[in-house]
This record gives sequence, C-alpha cells and structure tokens, in this order.
Amino acid sequence: MLNQSFNGGIVIDSPHPVEVVEIILAPLPDKVVLPLQQRIGGEAIPCVSVGDKVLTGQVIAKTDDYFCVPIHASISGTVVIIDDQTIPHKSGLRSKCITIESDGKDQWIEHTGCGVDFLHCDQATMIKYIQASGIVGLGGAGFPAHAKLEGIQDCHTLVINGTECEPGIMCDDALMQHHPRDVIRGVEILLHICGAQRAVIAVEDDKQEALNSLLMHCHDDRISIEQIPTKYTSGAEKLLIKVLLGIEVPSGKFAIDIGVICQNVSTTKAIFDAVVENKPLVSRIVTVTGSGVKSPNNYEVRLGASFEHIVSMANPNTNHHSVRMGGMMMGVDVETTRMPICKITNCIFVNNIETKPNTQECIRCGQCNQVCPVNLLPQQLYWYAKNENTDKAMDYNLADCIECRCCDYVCPSHIPLAEYFSFAKALHRKTTEDQYRTDIARERFEFREYRLERTKQERAKMMAAKKEELKKKMANDKAQKGKIAAAMARVKKTKKVSDDVQ
Amino acid sequence: MYSKALNTNQIMRQVMYALALGVVAAYSFFGWGVIVQIVLAVVTAIAVESAFLSIRKHPIKPAISDGSAALSAILLAISIPSIAPWWIVVVGVAFAIIFGKQLYGGLGNNPFNPAMLGYAFLLISYPLQMTTWAGEFLGFSQAIDVVFNLSSVDALSGATQLDNVKTQLALGKMVSELDVHSISQAWINLGFLLGGLYLLFRRVITWHIPAAFITGVAVISSVLFLINDQIYIPVQNHLMLGATMLGAFFIATDPVSGSTTPKGRLIYGFLMGVLVVVIRVFGGYPDGVAFAVLLMNITVPLIDYYTQPKVFGK
Repeated sequence: MLNQSFNGGIVIDSPHPVEVVEIILAPLPDKVVLPLQQRIGGEAIPCVSVGDKVLTGQVIAKTDDYFCVPIHASISGTVVIIDDQTIPHKSGLRSKCITIESDGKDQWIEHTGCGVDFLHCDQATMIKYIQASGIVGLGGAGFPAHAKLEGIQDCHTLVINGTECEPGIMCDDALMQHHPRDVIRGVEILLHICGAQRAVIAVEDDKQEALNSLLMHCHDDRISIEQIPTKYTSGAEKLLIKVLLGIEVPSGKFAIDIGVICQNVSTTKAIFDAVVENKPLVSRIVTVTGSGVKSPNNYEVRLGASFEHIVSMANPNTNHHSVRMGGMMMGVDVETTRMPICKITNCIFVNNIETKPNTQECIRCGQCNQVCPVNLLPQQLYWYAKNENTDKAMDYNLADCIECRCCDYVCPSHIPLAEYFSFAKALHRKTTEDQYRTDIARERFEFREYRLERTKQERAKMMAAKKEELKKKMANDKAQKGKIAAAMARVKKTKKVSDDVQ
Repeated sequence: MYSKALNTNQIMRQVMYALALGVVAAYSFFGWGVIVQIVLAVVTAIAVESAFLSIRKHPIKPAISDGSAALSAILLAISIPSIAPWWIVVVGVAFAIIFGKQLYGGLGNNPFNPAMLGYAFLLISYPLQMTTWAGEFLGFSQAIDVVFNLSSVDALSGATQLDNVKTQLALGKMVSELDVHSISQAWINLGFLLGGLYLLFRRVITWHIPAAFITGVAVISSVLFLINDQIYIPVQNHLMLGATMLGAFFIATDPVSGSTTPKGRLIYGFLMGVLVVVIRVFGGYPDGVAFAVLLMNITVPLIDYYTQPKVFGK
C-alpha cells in the first residue's frame, strides 16, 4: 500500500453495490446511431451514403484532423439516414449522425494486425493501427490514444489507471476481473511503444478480485500492480501520478512533461485488440446503475446502441427517472434514454427523481476547501465567479480547478460550485480572446501609425538630404563656374598680353 | 448525490443547541432575565428581517428558516446584561440585522459579525445600561418588571468582575489586594467551552480559530503577567472571565465574516485573542471581544489573499 496522497478528496461508498461484478453481453441492437462529432476536433465527414450496405468495423466517416479517429460501423447492415440528432453532451449538443439498421448477421470486415507476437512490429505501425481502430480514452475523457503516444521521448514510467473514476462505476473493475490477460498484454504493447522502463497498474483497495486476476496473469517484471486507497478523484491523471509516484505534475504541464504516460485499463485492452488484430473499436463495457434499476450491472454493448437498449436489461422500476451519462459526480444529465452510447459512455445512472434541496447563500464555512484535491479555495472562487470577476478568480487559481465537484458534494448550502467555475473559465477564455483581438487590432493600428510616421520622416530626411546635395552641387557649380571664369580671364589676359607683345 | 453532512440550516441549529449549556449557566446566576432577553431578541430579529426582506422583495420564508437571524439575535442577547431595559436589546438587534446584515445583501454578504456590530453600537451609545449586570438571581416576574422598567434596578445590580477589577486597578489597587475570581463567570465560560467542544465534535467549526484565539489570549496575558503581576491579572482569569470562551468558540468562528483559509484562520484567531486582552487591559472598555472581532473582520480579505494554500502542481 502506498502512503503518498493528495489533500482532500472524499470517500463515498459505492451507492448501489453489487456482489458479483459481471459483464453481460448485450444482444445486437436493431439499429445504431453513430455521431460524427467527437470529443475533440471537428465533425467527421461521412464516406458512405444512405442505402449503402456496411460491414461491422467498416470506416463510415473520417477526417484529416490529427486529433480525430475514423468512425466505424458497429454492426453490419444498411445506412438508413444521415441527419442531425441530439447527442449525450452537457449542453444538449446536436451533431450529424449516421444511422445503420442491422441485418442481424454482424459480418465483419477483414482485419489483420501485428499478431500475437507483436514485438516484431515497429512503433509507428502500432500507432497507425491504434488510430485506424478508433481508440480514444475510454475512461471518460475521450482523448485520442494515438495522440498521446506519438513522438514520445524520455518516458520512464507508464501508469495504467485501473481506478474507477467515480463511485458507482464498475466497468473497469469488470474488465480487469474478466480480461486480465488482454490488459497485461496491452500494457506490454504500450511499454514497447513508449519505451518506458516500467509500468504501474493502479487498482483501488476495495477491488480485491481485480487485483488477484491481474496478478495471476502478470509475468512481466517490468509491470507492477499497486493498490491505492479508494478515494474519489484518485482516478484523475495528475492526482493518480502523485499517489503512485509521489511526483506532482506542475500546473499547466502534462504528465509526459515529467516522463509519465497514463492510460486507462479499458483503453489498454482496446489498444491490445487494435494492435494484435487491427480490430476496430465497435463496442465497450458500460455500467448501468442507480436507484431506478433493480439489478445494476455491466454490459458489453455495441457503440451507437441506445441507452434504453441496456437500461431495459437492468430491470428498471416503473418510476419516472432522471438519466445521467458518466458518474454521479462528473456525469452529465441527459433528457432521455434514447441517446446513443458512445466511446466515452462508461456509465449510465438511472435514478428515481429526487427533489433537489434548495440552494442557499454561501456562509464561507470552508468545507469545500477541505475536500478540494488541488487545494483551491472554492468559497473565494465562488464569490468572484458569481460576480463575474474572472481576473480575481484567476488570481485564486481558477485555471487549476479540475471540476471534480467534491466541493458541490459537501457544500451545506448545496451551491453548484463547479458549474460556476466552469462558467467563469469560459467567461475568462472569452474575455481573453476578446482582449487578444482588441490587442491585435490596436497593435496593427499603432504599427500603421508608426509606419506612416516613419515613411513621412524618411521622406523628409530624404528630401532634406537631396536638398543638401543640390545645394552642395549648386555651390560646387558656382565654384566651378568661378574657376572657369578665372581660367577664361587668365586666358584672356595672356592673350591680351601676347597680343600686346605682338 | 448530496452528502449526508449538515446543511446550512442544521449548522445554524447546531450552534444554537451548543449555546444551551452557557445559557443555562448564565440563567442559574442571573435568573429569568437571560431568557427574557433571548426571547425578545429572537422575536425582534425575525420581525426586522422579515420586514427588510419584504422591502427588498426577497422570499421571506427560506431566509427566516435558515436560522441565521435568530442565531445573531441569541448571540447578542447573551452578550448584554440580563437586566438591560427591553429597548436596548430591540434597538441592538434591529441595528445588527439592518446595518450588519441586510444592507450588505443578507446572509453570506456581511463583512462584519452582525451580533458584535450591534453590541458595539449599544456599548458606545448606552454605556450605563450595557455595564449594569444583575447582582442576584431574578425570578420570572421580577425579571419582567426590571426589563420592562416597571421597577428600579439599583438594588439588584452590579458591575462585572472585569469591570470591577479595571476600576479598582485604576484607583491604584494591586492585583494581590483584589479578588479577581468570579464563580459565575467561570461557570458560564465553562458552559461555552463545553458547547464549543461539541461544535468541534460535530464538525460545525474547525479547531483553528478557537485554538488560535485561546493561544492569543494566553500568550499576551502571560507576557503581561510576567512583566508585572501587580497590575496585570493572571492568565487563567483572562481565560475564564468576560466573554473569552463565548468569543473563541461562537463569535470568532462566524464563518461569514471570518477568515476562511486554514492558515488564515490561525492568524485571524491569534491576533483576535491578542486584541481582546490589549483592549481589556489598555482600552477604555472592560471587555474587548466585540471590538477585537470587528477589527479583525476588517483584515479578513487581506489575510485570506495572502494565506492561500499551495495549489497542486504549483
């Protein structure tokens, strides 16, 4: 057990614990909806049209954007419609989506990767497979895996994040229990790609089965498996690095800047599939839990299937529900269960609707700063964020807030603090951008003024120089003329003298 | 999603419960006047707060039910003499709620501790009524008579021990010639100390401010006592006389007007403790808690800004 830790954080018991963590294979959905908008970068461009037959794993949309990965059909069938639909996003974003109706056969495209003895493959090929297979961070962040791996130098440690990012989620736990071999092999692939000397897999101390199964399959002495205390926000990359290695990633820097690469266990398993078989990512494990379902569980389900498809398997009760994608802390509320499951859908919370307690005034009690894992003063930030004083909020390190919502959780006045902070950050970004634009405009104007002034001065100088030259020339000319006249006079004189002599 | 910890209304109520021991101690020495003052204060606070909220067109019920106005009123009521005339507490509470709280925008927005603002206002404006304490236990009807000016108070009244000591020392007496102890004050302080420990146990307050406050009082009074034990009273008397324990656990810990960072709270509490003794010993008033609190309230933005904890990765 490690004894390094960060301040704050909160211990929350799993809200709906289960005795045995399983993975249930969900049946093929009748249709899937695949959004073209990804977490980062622009919308992908479809390369199929309505009526086309597609195979499972076939690329149906792609972009040239470096931070994007191609989008694959997750079932075989027919493209029925390409249109705008609401996707699970905190601002109810709409995106172009490709809808595929299943033919029930699940016919795959041909795919061959590096094979099981992948060590003969070079890094570039592996990374190409990872991108081509559409692997993004499956822990919830959705950052493209290839972008984290390309061009790495000086990576000494690989951290594999096996902590559930939030209480209640158990998809990573399930994966480690049921696919430990693939996880370990995935870690070996990642070690090969990033050239690190060692890998550390972090598992929370309440996940004994996951730890045991990983230990059983781990025969590589470069890989160690560490148990860490179960505490919310340990799963955040920088905090996990602090817990495991005792190093603080400097504010504003990334893990790679201190020679560490961090990947989630599910991503690691997906990377294994991608490299060994070049098998595109078409499904993921999703936890369905909450007070509105009678049997919470994990489902392996095709991407693009609706939430409803697996929620119905978890015995929902007949009440009205609130639906949330992601965890109870950082997840986003969505309107209905008719949303498509996407790569970052690690969990679906289905809750009986509760009346929210009323928000009251902040009394600066300081509970929030005691739980803040990055040592901020949310009570002060709140004051400035509420008054839209973003400069002052930035002084209080607003930019370092990871929006984990620990402060919301403990606030006795039930203030949605993280929402205020997220708003203040956006406001700050906007004002700095506006400021930047005005600065540029002003600089341009000032430069133009300067340029005009400079030209004017240069011209004046030139004129003056020319004048001077002319004067000189004229003076010169005068002198010359004088000389000529003198010479002429002399000549005349001599002539006269000679004439006289004659 | 919501934690099972105390919410804001419960926090206010916990503080009221914690005050009970001290109030019982005060009752047992001064009688029903204590209770009469508290009732008067709470009624006034609720009336004034409701009136102001309706003028400001704010919802009345949630603000009243958070208990913050009632708590300020109770704190003020137990700070003033139990035999003070009824209008003292009414004027003081009204001032505290209007000028100390509502004019700044209500709960959470006031830079000064409302109860102490009200107390300081009363002490400056009505020094006689504010320093005449009950000399004996008063029954219910007796208390009503006195508070509502139906009978004279002279026979029953006296000054507090701190006041007595101050007067005697000013007359040139030595500490060794005086009785600087007060059984009643010691019991009342003990009551508030126990109540304060309860608040710590319930995690309504953190240890920082009370510990620093008591340390501040102890350090400065020991220094003074070591310099001259004939004109400065001993540490234990500073700790157990006047409003020391009430101040340390209930007044200084007001989160709204106090410092909010862990390190800041230590500085805030310590300097407040020092100021309490400095005002008691060198100032014109027998006790210094109210003025120390108000002075330290002014410094809070400065303290908070310079005591920010080290942010992760910085």
